[in-house]
Amino acid sequence: MISKEEVKNIAEIAKLKFGEDELEAFTEKFSLVLDFVHNINKVDTEGIEPCYGISEENGFFKELEEEQTLDREEVLKNTTESEYGYFKILKVVE
Amino acid sequence: MMSYKTLVGLEIHVELMTERKMFCNCKNEFGAMPNTNVCPVCLGLPGALPVMDKEAVEYAIMAGLAFNCEIEKTIIMDRKSYFYPDLTKGYQISQSDFPLCKGGFLEIDLDEGPKKIRLERIHIEEDTGKQIHTENGTTLLDFNRSGVPLIEIVTKPDINSSEEARLFLEKLKNTIKYLGVSDVKMEEGSLRCDVNINVIDEERNIRTNISEIKNLNSFKSVVKAIEYEQKRHIEALENGSNTDKETRRFNELTGETILMRKKFQASDYRYQFEADLTPIEIKEEWINEIRTAMPELPDQKKRRFMKDYKLNEYDASILTQSKELSFFYEELTDLVNDAKLAANWVMTDVLRRLKEEDKELSQLNLTPKALAELLDYVKSGKVNNNTAKKVLREMLETGESAKNIIDKQGLIQINDEEELSRVIDEVIKDNQQSVEDFKNGKDRALGYLMGQIMKKTKGKANPNTANKMLIDKINKN
Amino acid sequence: MDITNLKAWEIREKILNKEISSYEVTEQFLEKIDEVEDEINAFITIDADRALDEAKKVDEKIAQGIEIGILAGLPVAVKDNIMTKNLRTTCASKMLEKYIPPYNATVVEKIKKEDGIIIGKTNMDEFAMGGSTETSYFGITRNPRNKSIVPGGSSGGSAAAIAANEAALSLGTDTGGSIRQPASYCGVVGIKPTYGLVSRFGVVPMSNSLDQVGVFGKDVKDAYLALKSIAGFDPHDATSSKRAKLEELNFDEVSLKGLKIALPKEYDELRVKGDEKIRVVFENSIRVFERNGAKIEYVSLPYLKYALETYYLISTAEVSTNLSRFDGIRYGHRAFEYKTLDELYINSRTEGFGEETKRRIMMGTYALSQGYKDEHYKKALKIRTLIKNDYDRIFKDYDVILSITSPILPFPFDSVINSPVDMYKADTYTVPVNLAGLCAISVPMGEVDSLPVGLQITANRFNEKTLFTAAYGYERSANDEL
Ligand SMILES: [Mg+2]
Ligand SMILES: [Zn+2]
Repeated sequence: MISKEEVKNIAEIAKLKFGEDELEAFTEKFSLVLDFVHNINKVDTEGIEPCYGISEENGFFKELEEEQTLDREEVLKNTTESEYGYFKILKVVE
Repeated sequence: MMSYKTLVGLEIHVELMTERKMFCNCKNEFGAMPNTNVCPVCLGLPGALPVMDKEAVEYAIMAGLAFNCEIEKTIIMDRKSYFYPDLTKGYQISQSDFPLCKGGFLEIDLDEGPKKIRLERIHIEEDTGKQIHTENGTTLLDFNRSGVPLIEIVTKPDINSSEEARLFLEKLKNTIKYLGVSDVKMEEGSLRCDVNINVIDEERNIRTNISEIKNLNSFKSVVKAIEYEQKRHIEALENGSNTDKETRRFNELTGETILMRKKFQASDYRYQFEADLTPIEIKEEWINEIRTAMPELPDQKKRRFMKDYKLNEYDASILTQSKELSFFYEELTDLVNDAKLAANWVMTDVLRRLKEEDKELSQLNLTPKALAELLDYVKSGKVNNNTAKKVLREMLETGESAKNIIDKQGLIQINDEEELSRVIDEVIKDNQQSVEDFKNGKDRALGYLMGQIMKKTKGKANPNTANKMLIDKINKN
Repeated sequence: MDITNLKAWEIREKILNKEISSYEVTEQFLEKIDEVEDEINAFITIDADRALDEAKKVDEKIAQGIEIGILAGLPVAVKDNIMTKNLRTTCASKMLEKYIPPYNATVVEKIKKEDGIIIGKTNMDEFAMGGSTETSYFGITRNPRNKSIVPGGSSGGSAAAIAANEAALSLGTDTGGSIRQPASYCGVVGIKPTYGLVSRFGVVPMSNSLDQVGVFGKDVKDAYLALKSIAGFDPHDATSSKRAKLEELNFDEVSLKGLKIALPKEYDELRVKGDEKIRVVFENSIRVFERNGAKIEYVSLPYLKYALETYYLISTAEVSTNLSRFDGIRYGHRAFEYKTLDELYINSRTEGFGEETKRRIMMGTYALSQGYKDEHYKKALKIRTLIKNDYDRIFKDYDVILSITSPILPFPFDSVINSPVDMYKADTYTVPVNLAGLCAISVPMGEVDSLPVGLQITANRFNEKTLFTAAYGYERSANDEL
């Protein structure tokens, strides 16, 4: 089981917000899913390596090639606000 | 104070001077126009994927070897999740469970002898962008720095004072400079430091909770922050209370630290294996190749200087305290072929000048070749020591060569006994009283007479010869 | 003649023989889109003008006798989580409603290089999360086989576009069945290739250790043609394989004789209620293989029982970080009102993401959070190793594994979605393939209650040739037996 407070806390970490009603329904669904997931506790994984990638090949390094640098116009094209070539947000100093 | 022990651990971020960024082919350079050195990868655009830079790993391994670490067998990267405007993906690609380098140490020289500061780990990660807070209430973001490779060096809490911290940082900075993997410029942000500190009351066996001081941007700040915190922690213990586990910021203007956030509010980084980067095996041969290609480190160089140049330990350690200085000294020694003379000049005149002007050697108007030219005059006795010092000062101010200055001002030492004899005779004639005084046992009078000789020769008289001739002449009188 | 009815490889031959121009082909597909799109809604964005321009260029190439790529002027529909330069790419989310990418995904570059014509961007579940294409911000897509039924998902638009003759070929992505299940529901062929065969560069990740780009076609040969054009090593994707290459296959020589087929016993234990009718069709398909000389045996993969939970934990954990970059700062939806940094993030993300997306981000955040990480995320990574080992063992002795693609029939709108756990169970057969990084294909195997059902064939990593051999052998024999 998971409490509403816990769900709220996770939402805070994930930077999401839910209304009180949503939170209630959500907590319920969440608990269902957690019950389902806890099934894996039955599996004995003693001495088993976690799967760090499914590939059996060794990874590789970057190839040195011409930089794919974007024009600044392209860089700022999809943002809501920009100024002097910078992305701009309202001042949010903590 | 006796029963308190301060424990300091440092976390140092060092930007690596690779040609390209860590996961893309953007150039790794400082000072471009905002957001002009970015691509889909370092901007964190949807769908863009990272690929590891080989040079970055090489440099990190080099640092690991220099600090006596054990090198991990496989490169496994992790995502460190947190939200911040300068972070493009909501996570930083870093390392958690498998740091590239583990353990290791760095030795610092204390009065009571050398001390090992142990390292916890060195891991690799990417740098973030930069924020600028403007006066009209906006924050501007530039991502040119985003994706620049970093190493994070984490020490064990083996540092027990602000002075040890300073010595450690200087040694670390110097070693990295020797390696050539970073320019370690604190003012440009290529070396940044966090301090973790707490204090133990050894008698009562209680300890304060650790505070973390973030983003110190000079060694001076590190020292001051440690001293401030040390006091704060001890006061807490003496009041019978304790400090909180928290993150603080150092205010350079007031010299105080200020609370940023309580640790329990600190973000849970939710480390996760970075599945976009297939693990890469680090083969033993590769490590050996890197080891072979590594430049000489300060301690090695110090030992070699003592052996090859017959320097004492003190001189050798001064001359290897920075990479530039040691290179300068070696080149100079090669040119003048006199290790002792070169050491004297570098350690007195050159270092004094750097200290006076608070400059780096590279900012000084002097090459080993230029100084060697001057020292040749000294060695051959064509210019006396005092004149040479004056010439050096002028060289530094004007950038002119020793030869030019000496020629133009006619500063070649007068060794010619006929010429000296004429000057000395004149001085004796004009200063009979002083001559008498000297004869009557007033040694100071001799100094006065020598001064007159130097004045008449504009300092060019060979002081040894002139001195000897003067005494001879007075005695013969 | 309505060219849109034809298989892609048939159209290709006609274009190469100059029976018809690429321009005319593109025009016909665009007309078809005009005709059916109001009802089907397979596309989020249609790029008609550029498609016609590109088609003209291909025709010029053909006229001048310049060597032509293997997609020879064929209209291709691309799932909207794949970056197309200067063509809106939304992931079916309000978050990216207006996003214009400044670069192409590697697969898009490859399609262009092979002279394929990108005709538009297809609808999907938001950020590829879902199995019905009902979570799209741009409305539902209808199943061309029955308009009151979902097309499956998350690549529902790409499957529907093929079934409704709106494109010759299409691209999808598959994280836990997102190509195979809609292929099954829409009665087309869909393949999820081996992890690492196709570049993921420029493909918005849902769960990056499981995602793989794949293709849809009307038949197995179409799927082969499409996959051939996009497979290959990509130095910009560090999970791309140096072995990535689709081997040549002579379809005329394909035979099922001697093919070693495994049937996992565990599938019986995992049966979903109401799949009896599908099972009957499945048994019939097994007989087709048998009659054509394949050898069939039961095997055991004991850890399959935990695949869904493992999948769920790993995928949501990865979702939670993959979607962290959507913060409204550099691109994407930014909340109009915010006073603090937290409000900028929370409001932008809360407004920009849909329900299912938020639910999975939450679950993944939980799975990775302090105190839970070891029993959830880490444990799941270990079980993933066990599942992979199970498959490795089976593929030492067998060529392919057969199963049904989806244990449930394509369902009406608004039906299953309210019970998340039931919805996950529908992925029983598809999910393990992604966990082990294998390749699998869904081929139509008949109908139940007038709705199409698919047969899933699974092969070992980088054994696409075997997969196509089995799939084509089955498809041809089944057709012959009709
Ligand atoms: Mg760090
Ligand atoms: Zn870049």
